[in-house]
Amino acid sequence: MKKFFYKSSVLALMAGMFLTSCDPEIDTPSSSAGEVNFAKYIAIGNSLTAGQGDGGVYREGQLNSYPAIMAEQFKTVGGGEFTQPLFTEEQRNGTGYLRLAGFTAQGSPITANVTEALAIRSVSPRLYTKYLEPINNLAVPDIKVADVKTAGYGSTQGNPHFERITPDNNSSQTYLQRIQQSTDHTFFSMWIGNNDVLSYATSGAAFSGGALNSNSRTITPTATFDANYSELLTALTAGGQKGVVATIPDVTAIPFFTTVGPSVQQLLAANNIPGLVALTGSGSSRIQIAPAQINAAQNGVYFLLTSSAYASLVGQRTGKYWRDLARQVSASQDPLAVRGTLAGLLLAYQVDTTAMFGLSAGNPIPSALILDAAEQQNVRTATEAFNNIIKAQADARGLALFDANAYFNNVKTGFGKNGVAYSPAFITGNLFSLDGVHPTPRGYAFVASEMIRAINSKYNANVPTVDETQYRTVLFPTQQ
Amino acid sequence: MKSKILAFLGSALISGTAMAGGYQVNLAGQRQIGMGHTGTGLVTGTSSIFFNPGAMSHLGYSGVTIGGSALVSRIAHSAPESNGVTARTDNPLGTPFQVYGVYNINEKFSAGLGVYTPFGSTVNWGDEWSGRYGLNQLELQAIYVQPTVSYAITEKLGIGIGLSYVIGSVNLQRSVPVQNQDGTEGGIELDGGAESAFGFNAGIFFQPTEKFSIGVNYRSRVDLKVEGGDVMFSNIPAAARGNFPDGTTFNAELPMPSTLSVGIGFKPNERLTLAADISHVGWDAYEKLRFDFSQNVAGSPSSEAARNYENAFIYRIGGEYMATDALALRAGAYLDKTPVQDGYLTPETPDSDSRGLSAGIGYSVSENFSIDASFLYINKKERTDAANLSSGIAGTYKSVAYIPGIGLNFKF
Repeated sequence: MKKFFYKSSVLALMAGMFLTSCDPEIDTPSSSAGEVNFAKYIAIGNSLTAGQGDGGVYREGQLNSYPAIMAEQFKTVGGGEFTQPLFTEEQRNGTGYLRLAGFTAQGSPITANVTEALAIRSVSPRLYTKYLEPINNLAVPDIKVADVKTAGYGSTQGNPHFERITPDNNSSQTYLQRIQQSTDHTFFSMWIGNNDVLSYATSGAAFSGGALNSNSRTITPTATFDANYSELLTALTAGGQKGVVATIPDVTAIPFFTTVGPSVQQLLAANNIPGLVALTGSGSSRIQIAPAQINAAQNGVYFLLTSSAYASLVGQRTGKYWRDLARQVSASQDPLAVRGTLAGLLLAYQVDTTAMFGLSAGNPIPSALILDAAEQQNVRTATEAFNNIIKAQADARGLALFDANAYFNNVKTGFGKNGVAYSPAFITGNLFSLDGVHPTPRGYAFVASEMIRAINSKYNANVPTVDETQYRTVLFPTQQ
Repeated sequence: MKSKILAFLGSALISGTAMAGGYQVNLAGQRQIGMGHTGTGLVTGTSSIFFNPGAMSHLGYSGVTIGGSALVSRIAHSAPESNGVTARTDNPLGTPFQVYGVYNINEKFSAGLGVYTPFGSTVNWGDEWSGRYGLNQLELQAIYVQPTVSYAITEKLGIGIGLSYVIGSVNLQRSVPVQNQDGTEGGIELDGGAESAFGFNAGIFFQPTEKFSIGVNYRSRVDLKVEGGDVMFSNIPAAARGNFPDGTTFNAELPMPSTLSVGIGFKPNERLTLAADISHVGWDAYEKLRFDFSQNVAGSPSSEAARNYENAFIYRIGGEYMATDALALRAGAYLDKTPVQDGYLTPETPDSDSRGLSAGIGYSVSENFSIDASFLYINKKERTDAANLSSGIAGTYKSVAYIPGIGLNFKF
């Protein structure tokens, strides 16, 4: 009996071996690091590099950041561990973020804020649970190239994301100094500069000067950008390290700017409205907007994603936008103080909220909700200048370059991969998350593959690209 | 005995096969599989019902053959720039089968009935691989039932024709790229039986001398149509469900292409038989895979992907040596050119030129009973394709198959 079992198990083993050895093999090129040492990879950047998405930084997004995805691929060619300042499982929702709650009867998405399991340790000023262990992903959401030499940027009065990773006893340390501390990295990626123009654009150029001037929402002077960018790279390549840098995408390639316009156009057509009046820039000047200008390539006007709550109010006698703004900018939430702020705003911008919203010079579309042609030109000029600097620096220092500007311009017309259609369309395009600016994890996987291609071609490496289908797109509520 | 055969048929109905050009399955007789699946120019036995009905009247006896194969097929996929194998199929065992009965009415006439499975495909990639939105799994099967008559015009010349009654079914499953809050994905399954269809199988067999024979065989194209097949959705998030309505049905059509074969047989001596065949398969009938839906699915009333197969040739050689009066040894080889053009590769049939090597033995237990056993190894050329014209899944594919088979022959 024993013998029988022995025999049959040997037979089963042999059959198993036979069937396994039957598996076809494919002669693929082998992975290689080329001229790169991937042993210690560090990532420099802003929210894109931190894995931000859906309007927030949270654990799942961090785990799917493009540097984390790339580091996984680097492991096949000698890459080491890649540590990120992850929010803990208990505080997994980090800063909070948007989730898709459903759709209106008209098919417009309804988003909701995720408010539990956050990592907020102070509400005012907004601060997050600290992370002081050594990290490879040094990304700081919202940071601009203009900010990297600002002392106190990591203090409680600075950028809460940088404060989060800045040692308590060294709160005056600048971002550049933090990077200069890293001497033992062998490879780096740096994708920074987006906010030097994007924060101007996403606020409709409304706060670059004027009554509500905010330095964080102005376009960085080109000379500052050039000098700071150069210093960053000097620090990162001090030991002769190789790396990859990326250009700044054209803002018109992201759904934040292109999603709402068509619905405004429909509204105007349905009500035979020949045109709109809007504020431009940061002052009180008015412009006229013809329906054909909306999302047009020439002399066009974009309605920002943040305008979706107000666009449907066109034609009503409403001051909702200004009331909301007053609550936001008022030093105190005391009703009297807010009312005072509101009166000041209406005076500064010469707004009469009893006039028809968007249709009269008295109650124009606020500048912060649109990016008009003149503002777009400012964005284009700055983007081009910054990208020329980035390309020249990459070239001069022998770094790999991911031309994100060219990539996202290509993506504008859509593409297909592995049976899925991708485009910059909001939600249905699969590439961009619910904030309309940051990619989905799937979108970040595409970015990681593009960066890997740039590295491979520059340094004769053959790092495998990423299976993007393993990363999610927009999640839909299971129950309506 | 009867119930066992029925069980065998049942399992065959459940699992089809795919291991030839496109979704053709050339496993129609155990003796012939051993000889590289040649046989158009030979009297192959009762399986002449399939290989060449014109030769059936030259059989000279009545008999029944029951046979089947166990098809183990393995496919590997390497995604572009992945530097490795990224997916492997987990295909179920395929069981193509054949049953032939020939009644020798007189010296001139014979009549027969064949049941066989010349087309089919079962491929299972699972729902985790990078091509899952293109395909999770496909089961395609077709069973031919073919009553056949054959007439020997002279001792040297025979003709025959059979009417093919064809039944089939298709089941196709894909992942749908919409994700629930928990990250799980939706799925779509298309399932339908084909309307029964008809075709024919005709042949001429000519044997001018003892040593030499030649045959021509034509099997007609049959279009399998599914009408009102079920479209089933699973795990679709509520917010997206309007796009994937319950109760949807589909219509689709799939051609089983025509095959024209010319074959020769040569007997240099009493013990040795050599054969060579060339087949031309009319794959250009397969232009597209189109599903028409009864309601919009994902916003569209239909789904269509180009296939644009091109006609292809199959070249075969084989031989049989009678080692003793009872024992036959066989070997053969073939080259089956792919009908799939560059840019059109799909995970359903990640096809490329197939090389087949076969061996077989036959043993006559008695005057009236013999057994055939065969083994066929198929190795498809590794093929890299962008699949950009077929909405397929790009990458490199490599397929192999191991196909042992056995057949029992009864003479009356």
